Amino acid sequence: MTKPIIEVKNLAKNFGKNTVLKDITEDVMPGQVIVVIGPSGSGKSTFLRCLNLLETPTSGEVAFTGENLTTLDAKRVNELREQMGMVFQGFNLFPNMSVLENIKLAPMKVKGVDDKTATQRAHELLQQVNLDDHADAFPNSLSGGQAQRVAIARALAMDPKVMLFDEPTSALDPEMVGEVLNVMQDLANQGMTMVVVTHEMGFAKSVADQVWFMADGYIQETNTPDEFFSHPQTERAQDFLSKILI
Amino acid sequence: MKKHVILVLALLLTMVFGMSTLTTSTAHAATDSSLTKVQKKGTLVMGTSPDYPPYEFQATVHGKTKIVGMDVAVGEKIAKDLGVKLVVKSMSFDSLLVALQTGKVDMVISGMNPTAARKKSVDFTHTYYQGGYSIVINKNDKGIYKNKDSFVGKTIGAQTGSTMYNESKKQTSGTTVKGMTSVSDLILALQSHKIQGVAMEKPSAQAYVANNKELAAIPSDFNLNASDTSAAVAFKKGSSALVHAANKSVDQIKTQNLVNKTYLPAAGKYLKTNTVNTSMWHYWKAFLTGVEYTLIITVCSVFFGFILGVLLALARMGQGGVFRTGLRWLATAYVEFIRGTPMMVQVMFVYFGLGLIVNLPALTSGIIAISLNSGAYVAEYIRGGINSVDAGQTEAARSLGMSSGATMRYVILPQALKNIWPSLGNEFITLIKDSSIVSIIGVSELIFQSNIVRSDTYRGVAPIAVIMVLYFILTFTASRILNYFERRMQHD
Repeated sequence: MTKPIIEVKNLAKNFGKNTVLKDITEDVMPGQVIVVIGPSGSGKSTFLRCLNLLETPTSGEVAFTGENLTTLDAKRVNELREQMGMVFQGFNLFPNMSVLENIKLAPMKVKGVDDKTATQRAHELLQQVNLDDHADAFPNSLSGGQAQRVAIARALAMDPKVMLFDEPTSALDPEMVGEVLNVMQDLANQGMTMVVVTHEMGFAKSVADQVWFMADGYIQETNTPDEFFSHPQTERAQDFLSKILI
Repeated sequence: MKKHVILVLALLLTMVFGMSTLTTSTAHAATDSSLTKVQKKGTLVMGTSPDYPPYEFQATVHGKTKIVGMDVAVGEKIAKDLGVKLVVKSMSFDSLLVALQTGKVDMVISGMNPTAARKKSVDFTHTYYQGGYSIVINKNDKGIYKNKDSFVGKTIGAQTGSTMYNESKKQTSGTTVKGMTSVSDLILALQSHKIQGVAMEKPSAQAYVANNKELAAIPSDFNLNASDTSAAVAFKKGSSALVHAANKSVDQIKTQNLVNKTYLPAAGKYLKTNTVNTSMWHYWKAFLTGVEYTLIITVCSVFFGFILGVLLALARMGQGGVFRTGLRWLATAYVEFIRGTPMMVQVMFVYFGLGLIVNLPALTSGIIAISLNSGAYVAEYIRGGINSVDAGQTEAARSLGMSSGATMRYVILPQALKNIWPSLGNEFITLIKDSSIVSIIGVSELIFQSNIVRSDTYRGVAPIAVIMVLYFILTFTASRILNYFERRMQHD
């Protein structure tokens, strides 16, 4: 039996008096594509950011490949973070570097990859996201869709075992959503383990192995997309789905 | 990196606490090793304030400016009799005794009167010259003023820290006494009718009157002890062996009447040659030296100030842990303290205070003081610049597995630098101007050089106008260059 790649146990997170995550226990298996959906403010992004310790959990455990991140020292956490790529809503590309430099930076500075190898790998990744002709462009000259694809390529450059997506298409103009989702779908088809926070129900339906429905600091329901969208079990999920257009 | 911050702070602290013990110990420890010490190093350093002709002033000899006058001749005589070389160090009159006490100079000869108050803090030789006081006035006012009592409701000026200043305050009533650091400033104030008279020693008054047809001298009629009108050589308290040796020379000067026979006429010659050419072009070398030193001080201080500023900013932003919290507290205290005290005081503290521990040249002291000062301001610019970088940048870098140090170095600082470049540029331009403060410890930057030219030429305004233009050329050029680089950084 395969072991889970991410194990979350009794995870809780407070910001001051405000409790965002109450008690979450879930596992992610290798190769799984998990789509986390739910109303705004339900703690989806906070949950995702706890997985690579960008937010420090108030209590509970987050384990990656069997190691409990909350008990490790900073150095080991950095090493494990390499294996968890993350893509942000706001892209967060480094504006003072070209597209190529954005992708090369971490492999060279963290892994010590030489310039030639890093450049070659960066070009491969840019081809994978259909942007090799923009290698020397600066982030500010890119469209949102292009910037997000570069951000995906940048995360892939560290050869992660898991990719975390934090509302990757929410900041995009509608006509650019497709190009980003296509790249993500390709990744899923290649067997990448993914945890995706999104409002793209179409993506959830066609790509997800599991949908996690989150509300009020709890994961209320986990199900296959078919089951979830046609027969939601909880009242909270039924209420949510009745309010959105699918 | 952080260790260095601690080192600097520790150094500062030891300095502060070390001061009290050192001042007392050095006063006693020097007893009678004074003479052998001077003979061992082979030089006798004389401190003087060269704006007091004919006692001491700047003259151009064979195209080079040097300090001349009867006091220098006295110093040379003493040095020669001791078998050592004389080194003349110039600084403002106010700073002379401090420089003596802190060992910056071995002796002070600057027309200084051996008053009872001064005798408490330094040792004097016998007097080498007995003078008197005159008051210099504008020639047109000759009918109005007769002596010190004619200035009721008027203002007379005197050099700050001098005996004339104290006596003018004591012995006049209804007269305002205005103190200025240099006599050339006082003469300028007199000529522009800010003050009506300048009290100074008779030989100086004669020299000024001889060189300026619009001035006249009147007797002061101050009631004075002999000690108040005499000049003696000052040594550090407790150096009786050195005083004893110097007294032999002084006594010879007295018995052979060397001052009146040889020294004063020689000084008079310099005064004459000095006033031949008072064109500002004639002094281009002096101004060039000023520009050179102003630039050296500014560039070095910006460089070291920047490094210090980065370290302080990082220390101030450290989070978590006892060590980091302590460091943050120290850095914050440093920044607040430096920003809360005048740069002038800091410059004097580094030169005289730090001078108790290590003997630093004035230029080095000036650069250290201004770097320490600038670092505190730069730290705040850098902190602001770092905080202005979007938090998402840090998150993106950390999510790629980069450590906090690597994130700062490769992602945050390059972007922060772009944000703070304009502030750093302003700091550079401010420092070009503020570096003038180090003139008080005798670094020959622009202000200092202009003072020399002023006392040299007896022209008050022209040198000021010249350095004003020079400062503007420097700052304007600097701001053009900085703008150029700022534009180049905007590629993205």
